[in-house]
Order: sequence, then C-alpha cells, then structure tokens
Amino acid sequence: MVRENSRRLSGSRQFRQRLVLATLTSTTVTIDDIRSGDAAPGLRPHEVSLLRLLDKISDHHTIDLNETGMDLFPRALLMLAVLPALCLWLCGACRNEAEVPAGGDYRREGPRARLWGAPGDRLLPRAPHTAWPLRQSAHSDSAQRRWLRITNDTKDPSVDTFRMTTLHMLKHFGVPLEGLELKIDSRGSPPLGGGEVFLRVPIINSTLTAANWTDEGMVKRIRGVSFTTRVSPQIENRIIYAARGIFNRFIPDVHIFTDHRSGSAGGRSPGYGVSLVAETTTGCLLSVDVTVSYPSVDEMNEESEKPELMSPEDLGVQAASMLLEEVAQGGVVDSTHQGLLFILCALCPPDVSKVRVGQLTPYGIETLRNIRDFLDIKFVIKPDPNSNTVTLICVGAGVKNLARKSS
Amino acid sequence: MDRSLGEPPPFVVVVQGPPQVGKSLLIKCLVKHYTKQNLSEVRGPITVVSGKSRRVQFLECPNDINGMIDAAKIADLALLLIDGSYGFEMDTFEFLNIMQVHGFPKVMGVLTHLDSKFKDPKKLRKTKQRLKHRFWAEIKEGAKLFYLSGLDNGKYTKREVHNLARFISVIKPVPLSWRMAHPYLLVDRFEDITPPESVRLNRKCDRKITLYGYLRGCNMKRGTKVHITGAGDFSLSGVTGLADPCPLPSAAKKRGLRDKEKLFYAPMSGLGDLLYDKDAVYININDHLVQFSKNDDNDAPEKQGKGKDVGVTLVKTLQNTRYSINEKMDQSSIDFFGRGAAAQSKDRNTGGNVISASHDDQGDENVFEQVDSVNIDNADTMDNNRHSECSSDSEGDNDDDDNQLRDRDVELREELEFCNGRLRRKAVSSNFQDDVDDEGSDKDDSDNEDSGDEEFSGGSASSYDSGEASDSDDETENTSKWKESLLARTLSRRSTSLMQLVYGQSLTKLDSVASEENDDSEASGSEEEFFVPKGQKKVQQNELPAFDDIDAEDYSKFFKSELRDWSNEDLINSIRDRFVTGNWSKAALRGQELNENGEDEEIYGDFEDLETGEIHGGQASENADGNGSTHKEDDLEVEKRRLKKLAQRARFDAQYDGSELSGDEADDDKKKSGREQSNGGGYFDKLKEEMEIRKQMNMSELNDLDEDTRVEIEGFRTGTYVRLEVHGVPFELVEHFDPCHPILVGGIGLGEENTGYMQASLKRHRWHRKVLKTKDPIIVSIGWRRFQTTPVYAIEDRNGRHRMLKYTPEHMHCFAMFWGPLAPPKSGVLAVQNLSNNQVPFRITATGWVQEFNNTARIVKKIKLTGTPCKIFKKTALIKGMFTSDLEVARFEGAAIRTVSGIRGQVKKAAKIEPGDVLKRKGENTEGIARCTFEDRILMSDIVFLRAWVNVEVPTYCNLVTTALQPRKETWQGMRTTAELRRAHNIPIPHNKDSVYKPIERKPRKFNPVEIPAKLQQLLPFKSRPKDRPKQRQPTVENRVPVIMEHNERKTHEAIRQLMLLRHEKAKKKKIKEQQKKKAYEAEKAKTEQVTKKRQREERRERYREEDKQKKRARR
Repeated sequence: MVRENSRRLSGSRQFRQRLVLATLTSTTVTIDDIRSGDAAPGLRPHEVSLLRLLDKISDHHTIDLNETGMDLFPRALLMLAVLPALCLWLCGACRNEAEVPAGGDYRREGPRARLWGAPGDRLLPRAPHTAWPLRQSAHSDSAQRRWLRITNDTKDPSVDTFRMTTLHMLKHFGVPLEGLELKIDSRGSPPLGGGEVFLRVPIINSTLTAANWTDEGMVKRIRGVSFTTRVSPQIENRIIYAARGIFNRFIPDVHIFTDHRSGSAGGRSPGYGVSLVAETTTGCLLSVDVTVSYPSVDEMNEESEKPELMSPEDLGVQAASMLLEEVAQGGVVDSTHQGLLFILCALCPPDVSKVRVGQLTPYGIETLRNIRDFLDIKFVIKPDPNSNTVTLICVGAGVKNLARKSS
Repeated sequence: MDRSLGEPPPFVVVVQGPPQVGKSLLIKCLVKHYTKQNLSEVRGPITVVSGKSRRVQFLECPNDINGMIDAAKIADLALLLIDGSYGFEMDTFEFLNIMQVHGFPKVMGVLTHLDSKFKDPKKLRKTKQRLKHRFWAEIKEGAKLFYLSGLDNGKYTKREVHNLARFISVIKPVPLSWRMAHPYLLVDRFEDITPPESVRLNRKCDRKITLYGYLRGCNMKRGTKVHITGAGDFSLSGVTGLADPCPLPSAAKKRGLRDKEKLFYAPMSGLGDLLYDKDAVYININDHLVQFSKNDDNDAPEKQGKGKDVGVTLVKTLQNTRYSINEKMDQSSIDFFGRGAAAQSKDRNTGGNVISASHDDQGDENVFEQVDSVNIDNADTMDNNRHSECSSDSEGDNDDDDNQLRDRDVELREELEFCNGRLRRKAVSSNFQDDVDDEGSDKDDSDNEDSGDEEFSGGSASSYDSGEASDSDDETENTSKWKESLLARTLSRRSTSLMQLVYGQSLTKLDSVASEENDDSEASGSEEEFFVPKGQKKVQQNELPAFDDIDAEDYSKFFKSELRDWSNEDLINSIRDRFVTGNWSKAALRGQELNENGEDEEIYGDFEDLETGEIHGGQASENADGNGSTHKEDDLEVEKRRLKKLAQRARFDAQYDGSELSGDEADDDKKKSGREQSNGGGYFDKLKEEMEIRKQMNMSELNDLDEDTRVEIEGFRTGTYVRLEVHGVPFELVEHFDPCHPILVGGIGLGEENTGYMQASLKRHRWHRKVLKTKDPIIVSIGWRRFQTTPVYAIEDRNGRHRMLKYTPEHMHCFAMFWGPLAPPKSGVLAVQNLSNNQVPFRITATGWVQEFNNTARIVKKIKLTGTPCKIFKKTALIKGMFTSDLEVARFEGAAIRTVSGIRGQVKKAAKIEPGDVLKRKGENTEGIARCTFEDRILMSDIVFLRAWVNVEVPTYCNLVTTALQPRKETWQGMRTTAELRRAHNIPIPHNKDSVYKPIERKPRKFNPVEIPAKLQQLLPFKSRPKDRPKQRQPTVENRVPVIMEHNERKTHEAIRQLMLLRHEKAKKKKIKEQQKKKAYEAEKAKTEQVTKKRQREERRERYREEDKQKKRARR
C-alpha cells in the first residue's frame, strides 16, 4: 500500500527551516527531545505561534504537541503559491513576526487565509495579500537570553534587510518583483515589540527558474536605512555620520535613509539600529543590520538599573565594519542569506543552478544538510582558493506548485 | 521541457489488438526483419537495434484491461492491430481512450486478416476504405493505417514487414508532460534474489527482487520511491547503472548496420545465454550440454551466488568463488590496512549504498579474476574500496592518474574514520609511501600532513571555520609566491573534503553523535558537580555556541567573534578592488581566476612545476594582469555565444534529423530558411531557444563532474540500463510473475506518495451504458497508479457551491472528489468499473483530469428541516419538530424559513417554555422549540420549512489494484457496489413507504362566508353593504293569507285571464309563421348569393385576364 515518508528529528535547532521544508515536501515530521535538558523544556511560545500560523495557512495539517516533542503531518501541500512566503520565513526575518501571542490579532485575516488555498483567485495574477503583526521578541524568556547578544546585534535579519535584500533575491529565480511588497506600518524593538508589517507575495506561475549566479561584481553603491523608535531622532544622524566615516575611504556613493518612528508607529519600546546594503555592479546585494535596545523587563528588575546602551557612533562603526567584512568575504549573497539561497536553488526545476557564496556559515551548512534530508539533493561544493569563496552546484528538485487549481 | 542528456532509451512499440489478431506474429516478423533471428514465442519486451542510432523495444499488449492501461502508459508508438475481416473491436477503442487519457503517443493502425474472407477485390477495397475512414474519425484525418495483406508461409510478407519497419523507424516520440517529469522503466528482466534458505524456511516470506530496464522519462535518483504497477509503492534499496546489454553501434561512418551489430535482447523470452549483472556475468548453459552435474542447473541465473553444494564443474566453481568473494571482500581490507574490525565495518557501511558504475563495466573481467586466485580478489576488492569512496574530486585535476587520486581519497577517509591519535597517522604514511614519486619533496609531504592535521583534528566545522579564517589572514600577510601556491593547494585539498565535511560527516552526526555529545557533556559536568540545575547548564552551553547542539538557537545570522578595525590601511587595501573605485583590472583578474580553474594552476604553478624547480607563476599572472578586464568580458561573451551556438545546432539537428538530404544546395537552402524562421519566429521559437541554451548549460556544468558525483547530484541519466533492487516485496509478485504482462516501474515525484482528497473533472464515457452513482466504487488510473476508490460526484452551482449529485450527468463533465494517492493537477484520470474480461459492453466508464487537491473542498447536499407551529401569536409562532434541541436552535438563529404557502420568516431563538405552559401540562417534549417571526400570521395548518446545506463526507477509501499479486487469469476483486452486493445476496431494494407516489386526494375546501360586523356595516355606504339577505323562512303575508274575491271581481279576473290566453296563443302562432318565413328567405338569399359570387368571380377573372393581356402588350 501507499507508504508515507516521514522523518524523525530531535532537538529544536533549525526548527523553522525543518518545518518549512517538511511542509514544502509534505513530509511527516516527528521532532522529539526539544530542549529536554533545559529548565523550560519544550517549544517556545514563538515556535508554537509559528506552528499555529502554519496550521492556519495550510491545508490539512495535523499537529500533535507534547512536552518536549511534536508531530507534524502536513498532509496536503501548499506549493509554490506559498513558496516565496515560506522561503522568506526561512530567511529568518519572520521569527519575530511569528511571535504572536495566542489569539494574536491577525490583521486582514480573510485575505491572508486566501493566500494559500487561493480558490477564488486562481485566475488572477493579482497577488494575494498577507499581513501579520511584527513583534520583535515578544516573549520575555527568549528575549532575556538574547539580550546578551543584542548589544552586538539581533539574531535575525531586520525588516529592512528583508525588504531591501531578501525580496530582491527572488528576482534571480524568476519571481517577478511586481507583486512583492513589504510595507512597514510600524516598527517594534525588543523587548516589547509592537511592530507591524504588511507583506504581499505573488503566486508564481509554475516553478522557479534555475539560477546561474556566480558573478559577484564590484560594489558600486551603499544604501541603508537607520531607524529609531521612541528615542531622539538625532541618534540616526549620529549613526549615519559614524558609518559614513568608514565608507568614505572606499566609495563615495553612500546614502543612508532615516526612519524615525514615534507614537504608535514606534512600537512599545525604545531602540535604534541601522541596516546597510552594498549593491554590486552585477546586482548582488550584501546586507548587514545592527539593532540596539533595552533588555526585557525581567532582566531589568534584577539589575534595578537600565544598562548602558551601545552608543550610536559605535553602532554605526560596527555596522559599517560588518558590511565591509561581508564585502571582503565575497559571494553573491551575504552570510545571512546563504540558507535561503541554497533552498531556492534546491527548489528549482531539475536544471543546474550555480551560485557562489563566501565562507560557508554554520547556518548554511545546516541548511545544506536539511536539504539533503528532505529534498534528497546534494550540492557540489567547490571552494575557490584564490578568492576564498565557495561555488555550489546543484540540480533542482523540480518542486512544482501542486496546490494550484488547473482550470 | 526535455532535459534528457544521455543516449535515448529504446523506442517502445506496443502492439495491441484483440485476441487472435496476429500480434505475436507481427512482433516475430519484425524481429526477424531486424535481426534475422527466429523467435519462438514473445514474452516480455524485446529490444532490437534497428538503426545506427535507434533501438526499438517491442511489447505485446496483454488483452486484459490492466495490461492495456499499463502498456498505454509506456508506449511511444502503438500499433493497433485490427482484424480486417471482422472490423473494429471494442478493445481497440478502449485502448485508444486509455491512451488519450494518459498522454497520446503516436498511433498507427495495422489491418490484418485481409486475405481470408475477401475473394472479391472490390469488396476488399470497400472494406479498407470503410475501416480507414472509421479510423480517421477516431484519431485524425489522414492517420496512418497499414495493410498487411496476408500470410506467406505462416508469416507476413517480407515486403510489407519491411515497409512497416520503415514507418516505425521514422516516427519520433511525442514529448508527454507526465512522462517527462517522472522516471520510469519498462522491466525487461526480473530476478528474485531472496536467499534460498529463507524461502525454504518460509515460502511466503517477503522477497528481494531486482528489476532491470532502460531508464526513461527523467533522471532517477537513488532515493526515489517507485511504484510497481499492480504491486504498490516501494522504496529502492539499490540502483545501479549497468552496461547496456543492447548497445548502439559505434559512431563510425558507414551506411547500414553490420550483422554483428544487429543485436537484440529479450531475457524474458529466454533468448540469449549471457546475462549481465551488477558484478557478474551469467552464462546459461543448456542441460544437455552439461554432463558433469547430476543436479539440475536450470535456475542458476536466479539463485546466483548462493549455490549450496560444491561441485567440480566450472559453473559450480564460478558460483562458489562468487560466494566466497563476498566474504573475502571484507577480509581483504583487513589484510591491507593491518587492522581489524573498524575497517571491516566501514567497508560494509559504504559498500551498501555506494555502487560504482565504472566497476560494472568490467563485469566479465571480474568473472575471470574471481576464478583465478585470492590475490587478485584482494586487488579487486581494493578497487572496490576506491570506488566506494563517495568523495568527489571536484577540483578537476583530471590529468592526474586516477589511482593516485583515489589513494589520496582513501587516506583522507581513513583519517576521518580514526580520528584519535596513532591509528590515523599510520594510515596516512602507508598511503604516502605509494605517492612519494608524485609528491616529490619531503617538505611538501610534511606540509600536507600538517594541513591534514589542521583540517581534521578539530572535527567540528566551527573549528574548521576559524582555521580557514586564520589561513586567509596568512594569505594576505605572507605574499611569497611559493607559499601561496602551497596554500592554494592545501585549500584545494580541502575542497575535495568540503563536501564530506558538509554531508559525509554529518550523516553520523545528525543521527547519533548529537545525542551522544549531549551525554558526554553531561558526564563531564557530573564529574565536577553532581547536581546541577538544568537551566544553569544550559547557560554554560550557551556561552560557547555549539554547532552540534541539537537545541541550538535558530538564527540565520553569522556572528564573527571580533570585528577588525577597518580604518587600518592594510585592511582597506585588501578589499580596495572589491569596489568600483578600485582597480578594475585587478578585480577582473579575481573574477577570471574564479571562472577558470585551468588558469589558476598556471598562475600559481602546481606542484609539478615545483618539482622541476621552474616557476611560471609570475609571468602568467603578469600576462593576466595586463589584459585582465577585457579578457574576462570576452570570456563571458564567448561562453554565452558558444552556448547559443550549441543550442542552435542542437535545434537544427532536431529539426532535420529525419530527413537528411544529400544534395548540398538543397541543404543550404533549407538551413537558410530554417534560420530565417527562427529569427523571425515569435514567442515559441524564443522559448525553444531558451530551453536549448539551458540544456547546453546543464550539459556543460554536469560534464565537468566525475561520474560518481554526477550520479549523486543528478541521478542516473535517461537511457541507462539500470538495475533496481527492491526489498520487502510480497511473495505473490514473484509467484505470480508472468512475463507476458508488462511490469512498469514508475518514479514517484515529490509529494505524490501522500494520500489525500483529489478533485477531478470527470465525464462518463458516452459508450458506457449506465450512469455512475455517487459512492459506488470505481477503479481509477491516475499517473502510474491504479486504485479503487469511492468518489462523490458534484456540480458547481452559480455561487461556487459544490452540490452533490447522486448520479453523474448524462453528457457533461462533473466534479468528482475522492480519496487516494495524490497526483499533480492536470494528470489524466481514467475510470473503470469492472476489470473482468468477459464483459461485452465498453469497459471504460469515465475519463477526466485532476483539477486540484484540496482537503477542505466541501461538497454539500440540500437538507430541508420541517416543523409545525404549536402556538401562534400575532406574527410570531413557536415551531415544533424542526430542531431536536435548543442548542440546535441556537445554531440556526437568524436562518430564513418559509411556510408552504410562501410566508417568509426567520428563526429567532429557542422558545422559553414556562412550567405552567399548555405544552408542559400536556407532558410533551419542549426541547427544540423555536420562536420564529413571519411577515404575516401563519396558520396552525401551515408547514414551516428551513432550507440548509449539509456537508457530504467523502469516504477515505482507497485500495490499490494489486493485479500483479494474484494469478493474471483471475479477475481482481475489490469492493463491490451496493447493487452487486444486493444481487449477490439476493437482497431486495429497500422500499421507503414515504417515497412512494400515491394518487393525490384533494377534498374540496369549504369556506365560510365573510362576516362583516354589524358595526362596520353601519359605517359602510349603502352601496357597499351586503344586500343578499338570507331568505326568510316564513312565507310573506301575501302568500300566507288566502284572498277571497267577490263574484264580480272573479268574473273580470276570469275574463282577463281568457283574453290573455288568446293573446298568447296568437303570438305563438305568429312567431312560428315568422320563423318559417325567415327560413325561406334565408334559403332564397343563399341561392342568390351563390349566383352573385359566381358571377363576380367570372367578372374578376375576365378583368384580370384583360389586365394581364394589357400588361403583356405594354411590355412588348
């Protein structure tokens, strides 16, 4: 009889990616030992809300949860109709968004639900709408641990990076940029968040197209956005001034926009940051972002005093140095987007995709392994000793949009 | 899009026709024509080399519907044999329909039996004409129908067979989307490789089988799941590419085929005594030729390798050595490395899933080696070892001799395996002794070792990363050419192992090591402190972000430990050229180095140069420096142009493949026109060109890789002869294996192994006698599979609602939803209700295609809830009997309701019934009484109803049709329809009394008169007052009181009465007389009328005649 494929995994690492790959390939996944050694075992609230979202946007999921484990039976598939969106999820920018508390307010619920099944919209090339509230690290427990690093930067790429870089990656895989749109309604900094974005993703016709994307080119301009929420708008200028100071040695074409948010558009907690994008002559975008904000309330109670935040000047210098590091590394995408790049390559039709990245990141390597596990695709990985980059070649899995209705 | 890169697989010609029409004879004749061999019987597919670049595989289509469906799914060309003396039979039309659903291949009709009945040539011609036109009507105008006039010595005439072969040879396969997207093979050899011992112990144990065939469709990967038609889905436990048993002749220029190259391959027909396997060649020797063994050797090829008794014969030796080799393979590696169990186990691990194709080519060589001696065995297994390394030498030092590379790989591998201490070192040195002559200097060697240590001592990838970072630092600082080249080399060495680092190592890591490590860390912790709070330990772990932590935080950003100070001038200079403000030529140089691997060798000089002491590096780099930028641009352009050229050429070849013209001028003209077409062509041509360019790109990329890596990332190419090993197959498949029935093995695409609800558009076939009933089981063929399922039919209403239909509509497509293994949208659906062979009518019940799969698609049917009022207020009424509970009422609050008479209303709420209510007092059930309002007051006699829609559950029933697991003669029996069950068990059709139509009795209704209240009457004007007073019961005074007249009075009264009588009499007479008179007058009048009419007509005619004459005159 028909035997369904299933995977047994353990641990909470690569949780988002595993779930998304499982959904794309409609593989049954059982994950156990989720943080079994931890004081608070099991899934974090943001992960649960991701599951909830998956449940909502897809068709016929069965999700079983227990204390440290879960089963996911994605029965039916939601293929390329949702592919870009899911890929974007992967990219990580959306962890924050997923941190919607139970019964979170999904704005425009109806249309969003239609994104996936799209029964009425099948003939319309018009993009289905989606929207979800953005909350940067709403949960106190995870935020606390994240705080240790937040002095350097946050763990996931920011919305600006997502908008300026991630969405443009899809262009190389034959997704038209017309329907893609990300609007930032309000920003939210950790720990309380309160941001809101509006994402619109088109339905892809049938498949992606394989990419031959190896020419990294030379950096021709640097753009960026700095933001402040609930702090003085002057901070932005200080960040920009510091960053420009570094870039002036390299290239004159630097422009960093400011985005000051106050009131409700500024979320619920103070913070500031910058995200920078270097654009090359061949259209590659390398990006970094740094955010600074206060730790969560629990932490503050213990310490009884607001810790000193990184100064805007330092932040600007840090962001600029990080961008230069990325440029020095080479590759057509920055280190953050390696995973997404590999997944997009793997989802292509069975043609050869060839991409070049800088040094492989742990996340990228994990992604490669996950792709091997779920899609049965291996990459040929050729390092290039001269430029210290790595060329990856793969033959796509030929994932098709099976959820689309044929008329 | 056609992505096939390899040699095209043989062209499948399915010969189909009703029984006794001459299918086998046709195949025999064709085989005879191609190979000059006589075939005794046709069993299974027969592969024949038919031309210089063409092979044909003949397959006889069995006569049952399952076989026909399977054959239609693989046919590239279908030869429909038709009995000319009888005419078309249903089988032909059924087969045509099946093909239409599953992708229509090329079809050619062949008329046979034309000699037996037709003595009269005119009649023969007429019949041919008739059949041809019928055939055209079915396929297309001008479809090819071939005539085989008769038999000659029990064979079709040579000339006609020759012509038919010509026709077959020019037909090109049609690209069909389903087949292009799925790998599949037609099994032409089938072996059971279960150990005989386990079969002996349990005859019904699950079997291991191997299936052989040419791979078609698209590339097949090792992990693909397959569907074996009639048996089910299986995962492959091994795929091997074998040497082609029926190879195409070499590409040397010559006209035709030599006799030696006229090969054919038909293992199921029992032809050919040589069988090739993965690692051996079997020679089938007939019994009468073998004298030295008493035991029957018939099943030697099947029970290969596991010969139980030891003989002295050659065959037995062969078998025996084969057996021992398996053992010695492992032992040999032990001998070689001088250490025990670990190596052996490793060998087993890798040997299981990695199979080398190149090794198989040496099949026959192997056999001899096996016979020879154990020593050679050792060498052989060593070879095996090398092959089984899954490492890929992706750097492309292909000019090096292979052995050396492999040795190196082995060595690296060994290091990975034994990564603690001495053991590893020893392995390295032992290998390097072989390599000394290549490596050259000792220094080099030690450097290698160092780098090896650096690389592998850490084990985890994080340390590797840091290592690389430090390397790159080194690179920037020490710019000595010599060292740089060394560095480059170490990095390139690293390259070969990068894939291992990512994939190979993680294999163990992901599954087992991760958990072990967790344990380790805990154990080490417990040494220091026995009880540690859980969270605390976690924090400790978090300080060092462990790459192997299974609960690692999920983030995509990569954090450098410390940032460098970018105001430093050296650093700035190091990336200066990565900006447009930098030196463009240097930057281009960087790009160029990346692009061409060949040239960086020149620039940095590889170790061979070092060996001789020559340094070419500087010169080359200068050269490159000079014209770097332009060179690079050129390269890109050139590459693009080259690809385009290749693509165009391929397209051109494809266009003019069939018709090769010898005349040069004609050829040139054609080329020109073709080019013009492609230039001026529109969207389609552009698309074609893009596809071709894409194909060329794929080819150029993939051809750079070595064979093993290529197979790993791309899978086996189409056209390779593959051997699939499948474990856990039910024994029935082997037991009831019948070579006459094709076994089709189809790859299952992503997401197709799952089951779910599918929505299809379905149309009952117009030749099928009955309509189909909802939830009656039908057998559906979608994709590769055939399964029985119970569909629910529906139709889409105007508002998008799917309304259930009890029966399929007569001449329309309808919507069918059923449960089953998923198939992508747009794949064809064929439904059959009964698989039995002795059905007279048309067996195909419905055809259609899959629209989507959507588990939430709802099919609804109408439901009417009825109730009666139990209490009526003014416009509100309490309705009873519509709902069963108050909860149900709550669900329907606000729903629209209606009385039969058309008064509309709405459900408000569940009614509150006080304890003292009449209903309560009567002791009736007060649950589910709803308060409803209407637009008018309703009557107690009204029936109120609520129209609603209720979901229809589609049964989750799906049963694969397992015809291969039972004798082919038997008819597969699945779930039976209700009607069949009733018939079988003699159960009458249930009879619902309420559903019976009865004559309607309608009593005339009596209405009471309208009563206008007296008060109202008074107010009304007199005109409007009712005046029809009821009759008084008492007679009036005049009637009641007798009148007594006086004498005088009576006399006058009498006189008046008499006078009146007289008068009446007179009037009567006068009336009669008048009537008579009038009658006479009427008659007279009618007479004159007639006369006048006649006269008038005459006059008119006269007048018209005159006018006519005058007109004629005037015209003249």
